[in-house]
Amino acid sequence: MGTIELVATRYRPEQDVQPWEQRYTVPCSEDMSLLDALNYIKDELDPSLSHRWSCRMAICGSCGVMVNGEPKLSCKTFLRDYREAGVVQVRALDNLPVERDLVADISGVVEHIEAVKPWLIRHSTAPVDTAHTQTPEQMARYHAFSQCINCALCYAACPQFGRNPAFLGPAALTLAQRYNLDSRDEGSSERMPWLNAEEGVWSCTFVGYCSEVCPKDVDPASAINRGKVASDINYGVNLFRLLRGKSDA
Amino acid sequence: MNQQQADIVIVGGGGAGLRAAIAAAESNPGLDILLLSKVYPMRSHTVAAEGGCAGVIQPHDSLDAHFDDTVAGGDWLCDQDVVDYFVRHATEENLRLEHWGCPWSRKPDGSINVRAFGGMQIERTWFAADKTGFHILHTLFQTSLKYPAIRRCDEYFCTDLLVEDGHCAGLLAIDMRSGEQTLIAASAVILATGGAARVYRYNTNGGIVTGDGMALAYRQGVPLRDMEFVQYHPTGLPGSGILITEAARGEGGVLTTCDGYRYLQDYGLGPETPLGKPQNKQMELGPRDRLSQAFWHEEQAGRTVATERGAAVYLDLRHLGEQRIQERLPFIRDLARTYVNVDAVHEPIPVRPTAHYTMGGIQTDRHTATCLPGLYAVGECASVGLHGANRLGSNSLAELGVFGRLAGEQAAERAAQGLAVDPQRLRPQAEAQAAGREALRTANGPERLAALRDEMACAMEAGIGIFRVPAQMSATIEKIAELKARYQQLGLKDGSRAFNTEWLQAIELGFLLDVAEAMSHAALARQESRGSHQRPEDFPARNDALFLKHSLARQQPGGAAEVSWQDVVITRSAPGERHYGGTTVQGANR
Amino acid sequence: MRKPWQPQQPRDWWLHNPAYRRYMLREATALPLMLYTLLLLAGIFQFSRGEVAFAAWLSWMQTPAALLLQGIALAAALLHAVTWVALVPKILVIDSDRLRIDPRQVLRAHQLGALAGNLGLVVATLWLLWPAGGA
Ligand SMILES: Cc1cc2nc3c(=O)[nH]c(=O)nc-3n(C[C@H](O)[C@H](O)[C@H](O)COP(=O)(O)OP(=O)(O)OC[C@H]3O[C@@H](n4cnc5c(N)ncnc54)[C@H](O)[C@@H]3O)c2cc1C
Ligand code: SF4
Ligand code: FES
Repeated sequence: MGTIELVATRYRPEQDVQPWEQRYTVPCSEDMSLLDALNYIKDELDPSLSHRWSCRMAICGSCGVMVNGEPKLSCKTFLRDYREAGVVQVRALDNLPVERDLVADISGVVEHIEAVKPWLIRHSTAPVDTAHTQTPEQMARYHAFSQCINCALCYAACPQFGRNPAFLGPAALTLAQRYNLDSRDEGSSERMPWLNAEEGVWSCTFVGYCSEVCPKDVDPASAINRGKVASDINYGVNLFRLLRGKSDA
Repeated sequence: MNQQQADIVIVGGGGAGLRAAIAAAESNPGLDILLLSKVYPMRSHTVAAEGGCAGVIQPHDSLDAHFDDTVAGGDWLCDQDVVDYFVRHATEENLRLEHWGCPWSRKPDGSINVRAFGGMQIERTWFAADKTGFHILHTLFQTSLKYPAIRRCDEYFCTDLLVEDGHCAGLLAIDMRSGEQTLIAASAVILATGGAARVYRYNTNGGIVTGDGMALAYRQGVPLRDMEFVQYHPTGLPGSGILITEAARGEGGVLTTCDGYRYLQDYGLGPETPLGKPQNKQMELGPRDRLSQAFWHEEQAGRTVATERGAAVYLDLRHLGEQRIQERLPFIRDLARTYVNVDAVHEPIPVRPTAHYTMGGIQTDRHTATCLPGLYAVGECASVGLHGANRLGSNSLAELGVFGRLAGEQAAERAAQGLAVDPQRLRPQAEAQAAGREALRTANGPERLAALRDEMACAMEAGIGIFRVPAQMSATIEKIAELKARYQQLGLKDGSRAFNTEWLQAIELGFLLDVAEAMSHAALARQESRGSHQRPEDFPARNDALFLKHSLARQQPGGAAEVSWQDVVITRSAPGERHYGGTTVQGANR
Repeated sequence: MRKPWQPQQPRDWWLHNPAYRRYMLREATALPLMLYTLLLLAGIFQFSRGEVAFAAWLSWMQTPAALLLQGIALAAALLHAVTWVALVPKILVIDSDRLRIDPRQVLRAHQLGALAGNLGLVVATLWLLWPAGGA
């Protein structure tokens, strides 16, 4: 079985003025996830360590932390992969305020997600008793972007968000694209102001790390940069209209 | 102590809670609706549902057939008026989700696709690949954002209900980020807190599924109904209990022993169906209780596979081929790869039964109202009378929509009558409750939280598992009583307020122990075998003469649960045999 | 009581992670390219000042230091081109009911386009310079 060293960055708002590191020794078996290790610490070594988790199957999005400097889901990270490194460094997700220990304050991220009108917008309402037609090909156009579990790893990966927390960021902009690309949706013009805004797609400089860390292969970098194309086209169309004296403003 | 007021407060941001919030906001946009949850709504365990959501849609299907399957699947313990209402409204809820953007899987022509599911004689399970619950939950959450009437308190942990003059008048909650207690007064409270399978050692549920709502109601004298019925899902991953959806079998996966034999044919579920041609209600698509029981026998007979993480059988998908697996079951492939290091395209997945679903819950009438005025319950925490002794897969997601909407509308109606109690009047009892919570936070007894929790989970597994034998049941009952006593001697180490998860887990353990108590007493009292409740040694058969009844567990002040009985509503399907395998299937005596 | 810790993004954030270093390298390719552009501008300026000045500039361009600079600029230009072209399929997705092009084809087309463009430039330069060089 063996053991491995786990160094957790602690921050307890009531006692601490700043974060500090605590070292634990945890068992390390072949199938033990980092989440199992954190729960082991909580149960057996130090009940005061706080972390979030629920599904332990990489779908609820609760358990994101920085592991040796990379944003990861702790339930989808395995200790066996750190045997060589010899130590696992864990801290709360980067670029976000730390509520306590490994718990980051994600309320800002959730607000960004809420801001982009992430729901199906229809102007012509469909009858209650039939479904829209949507072919598998049409669904494929947005399907990857609908797989986001809101884990915020991409926010921890984004230096632009780190610089400017007002940047709507990967998951929120991806969600806007998810609906814009849905054949049933008629709301892309309502979402356009968000894409175009200072804090929208143009704050992205295509670092691309968000897509690398995304545990669900959502590819937010692609979504955002396709948003730039859409924003450009929208700009062009508006300019054209303006020149012809038909501003839609 | 902080204080808030709302017209309706909904505890739980899963599928049921979100649907209720939307329904309340739609039926009366002027209301102040507070959605309170101990996790951000999209973390709720609805997110983990994989397989699908029932609703009659094919031309050769009928509401009667869905009714029959549900009632027979529930071993005639379903309230048939409730089932009727349910089957009539399930499809419209699925369509509503479609209109809200849910990416239901489609046929090539763009119409809705449905898949086969255990216990359903005709394909009527809507699905979104193998992440149905995830898509439903995110669709509902995102849709809820467009209603200004809905306010949220994310990461608020409800600890107590407040009752004034025999009415539920609000609740007490901990703001998890600050650790401060908050009194919330409301004209109506809806509990939508989900299931309780975390009372078991091996289960498919997330860490948050701790029966909170059930215990909250139980402590106020509201009965918990049919708590002895706990569904074991036949295909969880050994060790972790992570679910491998029934859809894997609906798509054609088969279950085999170590030597590749499809053992289900020996348990009245045959004849063997050809590989890749699953037949509704036969073999691998028999009901869950039967499949889990068959595993138990195979394990006794030593024909299971020994894995590092305990006994298992094989779920073989290889004959489906990579393309179909990738298209229909991508998440399953990913889970098996990640958690047991098996690529389902090339190897069979080891699986075993794990605790999955609580059929029982807070007793409600068919309109989701509990016997405590002002308190409603919906979703897995409730027992509206739909599932009887065994739930059919894909009926529970559909339940969230149908009864979530109903609960929202009912609560909105009540709230419009302006029955709110002045929060000031709730203050004294809230403060008394809060003091108890505070005492727990700094408790310094000798007992360890993790130890009590593990002992409870093992005792439940031993006594109230797939098969229940009297001696072990009694031992479990005693054990739970002992644990409840030791719980009073708990010692907590943290002591702080901000995001103190040790404190919250301790409160959850209190809830779990209450739920375990209700389950074990109800199980002992039901002296028959029905659905998921099997007593092969002392009462191997169903006994309609005595037990065609719902059990009601009530908490006794200072003592164990007391069990009484309530008649089942039977309208048009008299109890018959449950037929599976090759024989024709019909609710008997119709 | 809440008292969230507000982390500051460190100045050297881009040193902390290989992905950031790769990104910074891509962005940094702009620097040698800018330098090279300045050199060319200097050349034009010298050209306008007469033959002698231009010849001096030309011979300076052939000193080892200048050649090294041009080599770096060439490498940077190539790196920039390759990494940007590789990103194209993520940005330019052609997929509608009327027209769908496989992303791999989009990538291939851009790679070919970039190659053809560069080859064209080289050929055109040679063609323009040949008679002058021969004369
Ligand atoms: C792995 C898995 C797969 C499944 N697959 C299927 C399927 O394919 N088809 C099907 O029909 N059914 C399926 N089910 C069952 C179905 O998913 C659940 O019954 C259903 O999702 C429960 O929804 P809910 O809204 O009642 O509760 P949940 O989604 O569990 O939500 C409970 C909510 O209550 C909140 N809460 C709980 N306690 C408190 C408290 N004390 N204070 C504040 N908030 C609280 C939680 O934060 C959460 O928001 C599956 C279940 C599991 C576990
Ligand atoms: S885009 Fe990926 S990394 Fe970002 S929140 Fe969604 S799932 Fe997480
Ligand atoms: S615990 Fe749910 S994603 Fe890790």
